[in-house]
Amino acid sequence: MFNAEKFIEKTIPNLQKDIQRKALIAFSGGVDSTVCAALVNKAIGDRLIAVHVNTGYMRKNEPEQVKQMMEDLSLNYRFVDASKEYYAALKGVEDPEKKRKIIGEKFIRIFEKVAREEKVDYLVQGTIAPDWIESGGGLRDTIKSHHNVGGLPKDMKLKLAEPLRDLYKDEVRKVARVLHLKVSERQPFPGPGLAIRIIGEPTPERTELVREACDIVEKEIERASEQGLMERPWQYFAVLIPIKTVGVHGDKRAYGNTIAIRAVQSVDAMTCHYSTIPHEVLDTISTKITNTMKEKVNRIVYDVTNKPPGTVEWE
Amino acid sequence: MVRIFVIDNGGQWTHREWRTLRDLEVQTKIVPNTTIFEDLQKEKIQGLVLSGGAPRIGLDGSLGNCAEYLEKADFPILGICAGHQFMARFFGGEVKPSKIPEFGQVEMTLIKDDDALFEGVLKKSIVWESHNDEVTVLPKDFVRIAESENCKIQAMQHKKKQFYGLQFHPEVEHTEYGEHIFKNFIQLCEE
Repeated sequence: MFNAEKFIEKTIPNLQKDIQRKALIAFSGGVDSTVCAALVNKAIGDRLIAVHVNTGYMRKNEPEQVKQMMEDLSLNYRFVDASKEYYAALKGVEDPEKKRKIIGEKFIRIFEKVAREEKVDYLVQGTIAPDWIESGGGLRDTIKSHHNVGGLPKDMKLKLAEPLRDLYKDEVRKVARVLHLKVSERQPFPGPGLAIRIIGEPTPERTELVREACDIVEKEIERASEQGLMERPWQYFAVLIPIKTVGVHGDKRAYGNTIAIRAVQSVDAMTCHYSTIPHEVLDTISTKITNTMKEKVNRIVYDVTNKPPGTVEWE
Repeated sequence: MVRIFVIDNGGQWTHREWRTLRDLEVQTKIVPNTTIFEDLQKEKIQGLVLSGGAPRIGLDGSLGNCAEYLEKADFPILGICAGHQFMARFFGGEVKPSKIPEFGQVEMTLIKDDDALFEGVLKKSIVWESHNDEVTVLPKDFVRIAESENCKIQAMQHKKKQFYGLQFHPEVEHTEYGEHIFKNFIQLCEE
């Protein structure tokens, strides 16, 4: 079996050997990049600069929470608010692969800029096995371009360090537990963020909708899991489907968007079973979303697709 | 420690096969399907897994040097999905697009109950699938071991050699007896 202590023992000296000068890490606040940052920080101390980019597609209160995490880890960090730039770049973009490529490329350009200012030569990324497996290349078919693999521009000038490349999520969590990182049980969140949880153009207005819906789904499912009503899923969130349907609010006709509830069970994200959410919990989520977002959302659906044939995220 | 390599035909789950073997204390490595047989021999391997492949490759692709391995190997080989389909074609069987492709959870039934690879596996069990094509005609040197409602050849074995083909994916977490089947395969390689 995978041994997290041994992995840490082996990885730190390798990082020390490879990274002679300064390194930069793309810090999202998720399990992968946090474990990566903690390892590289152990290896080279404050020669590591953590950069967090607020793309505007983060979840509710997430930018503030990530800032706090970087403080707690005593990282040497930069916080870049690029939300306006991202919204502008994704204006009119509907194709999921285009969204991923644009977001990936922008990430790299921002990191390159900080890298130039800080004179770093290494880019550290929390890429894990399913990321590069699904990104295709060689014989493999591209299922999705993960932002940290397929989105990499060909003329990138930084050297790449990916210490978690051969690990799966459950193994990364084991490493996180050994390092006593609070983030170890956090659910995965994709790099392109809420942009790929909005089918169609990810406008700021639609982002607000899906952000609010995701927050309700997360809170209600976490509450239900804590109360023992259901097993905590591997991943759980809302997807905005900008298809309008007719509803009735009071005696008035309503015509609003649709939100899909997605929750899956998995060990490594390579195969997933949709989570069985008790009807009472679905009911609470449905009522909360439609009541708090009544002008915009008046229909809730529950996604019962496994992977395969589906993937966890819709785009 | 037994040495079993994974031949990469470009499948989405090649890495999972590697991981399952690694977790079962096997010395393992993913190698491209362009590796020549002599180089595998030099590595003193005791078994080989032929991974699944990029879409439709099992139907008519050549899968690198997989033919050479099937021709020369005197150790057990486990073909999975496209690897299984290629094995069937190599020995004279037929592969065609599935009338009803299978994705995700499927119930599999064992037809032959004394097979070493499936020792300890219940007659009916849950397996996970992901295929557009399937073996429609069994090669004459093979026996059929398992089936599902929509796919008659879920598992097959060579009558004289330790060559196995599986249409389903034993390497993914959700296949009920996946790890168990790998354990049985490892045992065959050790013998």
